[in-house]
Amino acid sequence: MTSPGEAEGVPGRLLYRGAEADVVLGDWQGLPAVFKVRKPLAYRLASLDQEIRRQRTVHEAEMICHAKRAGVTTPFLYHLDLQASTMVMEYIGGEMLRDLASHMAEKEVEGPFFKFGEGVARLHAAGMMHGDLTTANVVSREESLVFLDFGLAHRTSRLEDYAVDLRLIKETLVGAHPGISRAALDAFFRGYEAKAGTPRFRRVHSQLRNIERRGRYARVA
Amino acid sequence: MKSIVIGVESTAHTFSASVVSSDGEILSNPKSVYKAPPGGGIHPFEASQNHLAAAPSVLSEALRSSGAGLSDLSAVAYAMGPGLGPCLRVGAVAARTLAASIGVPLVPVNHAVGHIELGCLLTGAKDPVVLLVSGGHTMIIAYSGLRWRILGESLDLTLGQLLDQFGRHHGLASPCGRAIEESASRSNNYLRLPYSVKGNDVSFSGLLTTSKSLLDAGASFEDVAYSLQETSFSMVAEVTERALAFTGKKEVMIVGGVAANKRLSQMMSAMAERHAAKVLAVPLEYSGDCGAQIAWTGVLAHGSGIEVPVAESTVRQSWRLDVVDIPWRG
Repeated sequence: MTSPGEAEGVPGRLLYRGAEADVVLGDWQGLPAVFKVRKPLAYRLASLDQEIRRQRTVHEAEMICHAKRAGVTTPFLYHLDLQASTMVMEYIGGEMLRDLASHMAEKEVEGPFFKFGEGVARLHAAGMMHGDLTTANVVSREESLVFLDFGLAHRTSRLEDYAVDLRLIKETLVGAHPGISRAALDAFFRGYEAKAGTPRFRRVHSQLRNIERRGRYARVA
Repeated sequence: MKSIVIGVESTAHTFSASVVSSDGEILSNPKSVYKAPPGGGIHPFEASQNHLAAAPSVLSEALRSSGAGLSDLSAVAYAMGPGLGPCLRVGAVAARTLAASIGVPLVPVNHAVGHIELGCLLTGAKDPVVLLVSGGHTMIIAYSGLRWRILGESLDLTLGQLLDQFGRHHGLASPCGRAIEESASRSNNYLRLPYSVKGNDVSFSGLLTTSKSLLDAGASFEDVAYSLQETSFSMVAEVTERALAFTGKKEVMIVGGVAANKRLSQMMSAMAERHAAKVLAVPLEYSGDCGAQIAWTGVLAHGSGIEVPVAESTVRQSWRLDVVDIPWRG
């Protein structure tokens, strides 16, 4: 199922073992670069696994470019190797919003989370959803936020999809950062509203409520 | 001093009572399970009739086989929710009556929290990412800040519903998990089915529709059952893996009725291995609905001073576990 050369080929330092990929800091033509390697997942049936990995690699590359055109900061793409389901891209450094948020006081959340909201509104205005907006996929570098991991991103004009993005952010904040979730979410929504405009924000937000009401055992507010 | 609590479970198809001591010894756990007719699901009223008829004998059996007497009980715990209204009410009436007649506190327990806490007791899990998979739940859960928090869940059907509704379409009787697992083990012909992961959440409705259509179009039950398991379990393993990678925790615990499926636990083990995490599986007898989950959580809650006056001891059909405070882990 696993061909050994496929996953083992990248020299460098393992930065992060994600759910579906290893992120390795290596060298590309003399530049420090990040290799995102979608390794075969042994638990998944090989044919299903291979198709999902290939699809997500192509998709992610397309989506990164699309996001960049929409004015959202993303890593530059250097190279794509579909055989090995590997993307080579710019090394960002910086600190994950997840780690920043874990030692933030409630009044420090305004800046980063407002920007987070603006960035997501930009993506949505460009007709795409990110699909994986956890605080581990946004990195703070100098004054800007860099969006990573577009593996589950899609071109879409459905309100529902935009609301699914917001739902994951809410789920992540409440689930992983309960201490600051209220303030962070509030700043996020205001950032989103500032960029998308109030009518647009209200539509997406009300769709978010619809999704929540569909959830199991949700209290119907 | 050791105290003893009786717990009553009646959220869905199972009526069960269990006596558990405060040091975590399960002294009894008898149950009566409502059987739905082939091709049909749980009829809430009929299930409640089963529970009504079974309650006296299950309760006395729970006490008799535990060796405890009524005067040894220090509290009565009951599943306040979530679940089917008519079923919940039978358990609530039984628990209320018992508590009032012997004069001990009544302790409300959230059924889902019960699955998790009993799982932690039996597996020794300290700080796990929990996969709760049953007919009522499909959730990825971890403890943080006084509550069990939901990190991901199904946006529509639960895994148990997916399997049951697929099985019933083929004329099987709920619960269909075991029959599907057995049929699936006879095939390795994978038919492509919709794979729907949205962030940390999964969606099974398209998968169910496509699987039923394949059956209707003449595909073999074994092949579709196999493909359905592979697809849905991969989706669940993927979102669990995401939660594991995100939280950096080192234990994965599987609880709920679908935890009995060997292919699922095999996938979870392979997934956890990549993250050097341990997979903890709850013994079969206790992974599905049972009184012990309510009694043990009742012990914990009672120890934290949680009780409800009889006059307010209603049932809550929609009671998400992430609104329940867990002071004993604080």
